[in-house]
Amino acid sequence: MTSAGDLGDFRTSYLGEVEELLAAANAQLLAIDASLRKGESNVRAVRELFRALHTIKGLSAMVGVEPVVAITHRMESALRATDRANGRLPLPAIDVLLRGVRMVEQHVSAYADDGAPPVTPPGLLDALDALEPGAAPTAVTNEVALDLEPAVAKALAAFELDELARGVREGRRAVRVDFAPSSERAAAGLTITTVREQVGGLGEIVKVVPLSVPATATAPGGIAFALLLLTAASDEALARAAGVGVEAVRPLAAARAPAPEAPAVVDLLEPDPHEQDVHRRGAMRVDVGRLDEAMESLAALIVSRARLGRELAALTARGVDVRDLALALQDDSRRIRDLRSSILRIRMVPVAEALERLRLVVRGLRRASGKLVRLDLDAGQVECDKAVADRVFPAVVHLVRNAVDHAIEAPAERRQRGKPEEASVRVACVARSNTQLELTVSDDGRGVDRERVARRASRPVPEGDAALLHLLCLAGLSTRAEASTTSGRGMGMDIVRRIVVEELGGELLLRTERGAGTTFTLRVPLTLAVVEAFAFECAEQRFLVPLATVDEIVEVDPGRVAYGPSPRSAGARGLVGVMERRGSAIPVVDLDAALGFGARRSPALRALVVRRDGDVIAFAVDRMLGQHEVVVRPLTDPLLKVTGVAGAADLGDGRPTLVLDLVALRVRLGLGPAGSRGVR
Amino acid sequence: MSELHVVFRVASTEYVIPASEVLRMESYEGATPVPGAPPYLAGVVQVRGRFVPVVDLRARFGLPPAPLSIDSRIVVGQSGDRPVALLVDSAREVLHLSPEQLRPPPPMVVEQCAGYVSAVARVGERFVMLIDFRKVIGEEQRDEG
Repeated sequence: MTSAGDLGDFRTSYLGEVEELLAAANAQLLAIDASLRKGESNVRAVRELFRALHTIKGLSAMVGVEPVVAITHRMESALRATDRANGRLPLPAIDVLLRGVRMVEQHVSAYADDGAPPVTPPGLLDALDALEPGAAPTAVTNEVALDLEPAVAKALAAFELDELARGVREGRRAVRVDFAPSSERAAAGLTITTVREQVGGLGEIVKVVPLSVPATATAPGGIAFALLLLTAASDEALARAAGVGVEAVRPLAAARAPAPEAPAVVDLLEPDPHEQDVHRRGAMRVDVGRLDEAMESLAALIVSRARLGRELAALTARGVDVRDLALALQDDSRRIRDLRSSILRIRMVPVAEALERLRLVVRGLRRASGKLVRLDLDAGQVECDKAVADRVFPAVVHLVRNAVDHAIEAPAERRQRGKPEEASVRVACVARSNTQLELTVSDDGRGVDRERVARRASRPVPEGDAALLHLLCLAGLSTRAEASTTSGRGMGMDIVRRIVVEELGGELLLRTERGAGTTFTLRVPLTLAVVEAFAFECAEQRFLVPLATVDEIVEVDPGRVAYGPSPRSAGARGLVGVMERRGSAIPVVDLDAALGFGARRSPALRALVVRRDGDVIAFAVDRMLGQHEVVVRPLTDPLLKVTGVAGAADLGDGRPTLVLDLVALRVRLGLGPAGSRGVR
Repeated sequence: MSELHVVFRVASTEYVIPASEVLRMESYEGATPVPGAPPYLAGVVQVRGRFVPVVDLRARFGLPPAPLSIDSRIVVGQSGDRPVALLVDSAREVLHLSPEQLRPPPPMVVEQCAGYVSAVARVGERFVMLIDFRKVIGEEQRDEG
């Protein structure tokens, strides 16, 4: 079928758009909730919410996700009633509406995964119906005759017919616009998505009905869409918007003079003049897959640029005059860097937007736990790569959940301890550098009980926060602890650590004080994929290590590295020596030996200093080879999954160069801080 | 119906693998060693933009190492979506083998070669051994690690 591509595209944009609208709906509901708690009404939020739901309904009807249509329609009706009551929604209604949004989310994600659609609990639909005071659902009789052919009429639900009739009674025209997608039209930028947007700008689209068109002698068969809408626009304007001839626009019923008793209802869809266009102008939605494609092309470009660099070096070595070529390549490099930052900028999402969803989480926790908690979000203007945001968000949710469930005391207990009854959970985010993001999740709760954690893990009581964190992150420990207390769900600290440290190559820190509170710090890269790395040589092999993981590069004076007794190394020198760095003794490890390449022939003169959790270790290497911008790809084959190797990159010679994870390597060697042995 | 097989040599023995399991063959100029990987892993190479592990069949088969030569090849096979390269002494030939030609290996051979050989075939005056690609690359041990 010729239209498959068009529908597929639409599905993607449907999912993207609905996701955004659902986020907006949640945000507006929370805003209404907050206003109600202050005893105020929030007409504006009610309207925004209505608009989001209305659009979701229209889009869902078009792709045929009928349960969503049913839910959103009821929510809309409830809001219409609310608007008439000056934006006053009874507080319990918020919960029902939130449940409605959640149900819509479930339906949409089932649609996205091609999974079985969930069953909407009938209780939810009843509860939504009950929100509309005195409304017998779809009670208005359909006294307006609509000129609909059976194939179209069949596709309309009763309430959609009612809606068309209502519009006509209120003085608008009900019109049908037919649009048949074709490759020529698509090439001219006309797809059902764009047509829907254009036509939607001229009226209220009630339903888009897909119709199959049988093949005729003159045209191949395919799919067409009938857009049914209420509008005041002329046929010509509609035809122009749809890119079709005026004969494709047909009236369903003429407009009537508004009935005198028709209430002077403000049209909830009437755009607020203050904010119209703010969202639309200059912004567009992009499928992440397309950005990934651009990123991959860029990666290939960086690799071939590195190859050119090598060729240039070879020419120089042969004594060829390459000055002009070198200048051109320099220019080229700069452009690649610019292109890279442009693409990365496109992938950036505001962190504040992602964190907004936490309000919903905390609201739920507040209700479930009966604790008084205030959530403070402070992310400023910080942005990060979408891929990073998507990965780190579940970790943040877990930490917030933990804070409310475990760290924060009940109001009575807090009063006793002289703390304000309302506890505070604060999630903040700052850009630590151009490459790193620092998220903190802090609470003013009771702090982590070291003795209890130690007992549970059957380990000695940890000294210091770093050791305590290691203990908390032991696989299985935190989940067990949780199951015995309230939530019993979610993931353990080991998963938080895995996300932050292993998946994102970041850092997880803990600071906790008995009775005063706990702060978790998550340091993660702003972007994935392209990283700055140091290249160095070790055992005649070239390696890379991400710049962000190296504290500093120091010179090693071989004569001043001391090796202590090492009874287990069978005559050989021990693996770990001690050297001086800024007045303190730090362990130094020969990277050759640590990687299993055997003893080195010449003494190492440089060392990479790595710090994690306040622990410092130096890895001695043969020599440093400079700094590169590399595209790190993970090594996914089981034969290549080795602790200490984060992935590989092509430096332009076509060969993989291993990217080391020195922190993980330290753990593999059993050189982690106390208590961490065996933890990965 | 005879099936096309790729013939390669490791030490003095000729082995075959169905051509349908082979993605490509390339000359071999060394791989990047991966510290901490199994001893029979020669390293990792880049094939068509993918990083692919190289299993050294001499090491895997318990044979002494041999210096690389201009004949050294990698045979890149695929198990599921997992491409794995086999390092062999040479690979120059393809053969049509019919199912009747492929016989189960004698029990003593099975025992000695740890299941890496799933059949033997007589081709004119010589014997070739059909290797079990999945076993050779350790597919069945994946979950143990």
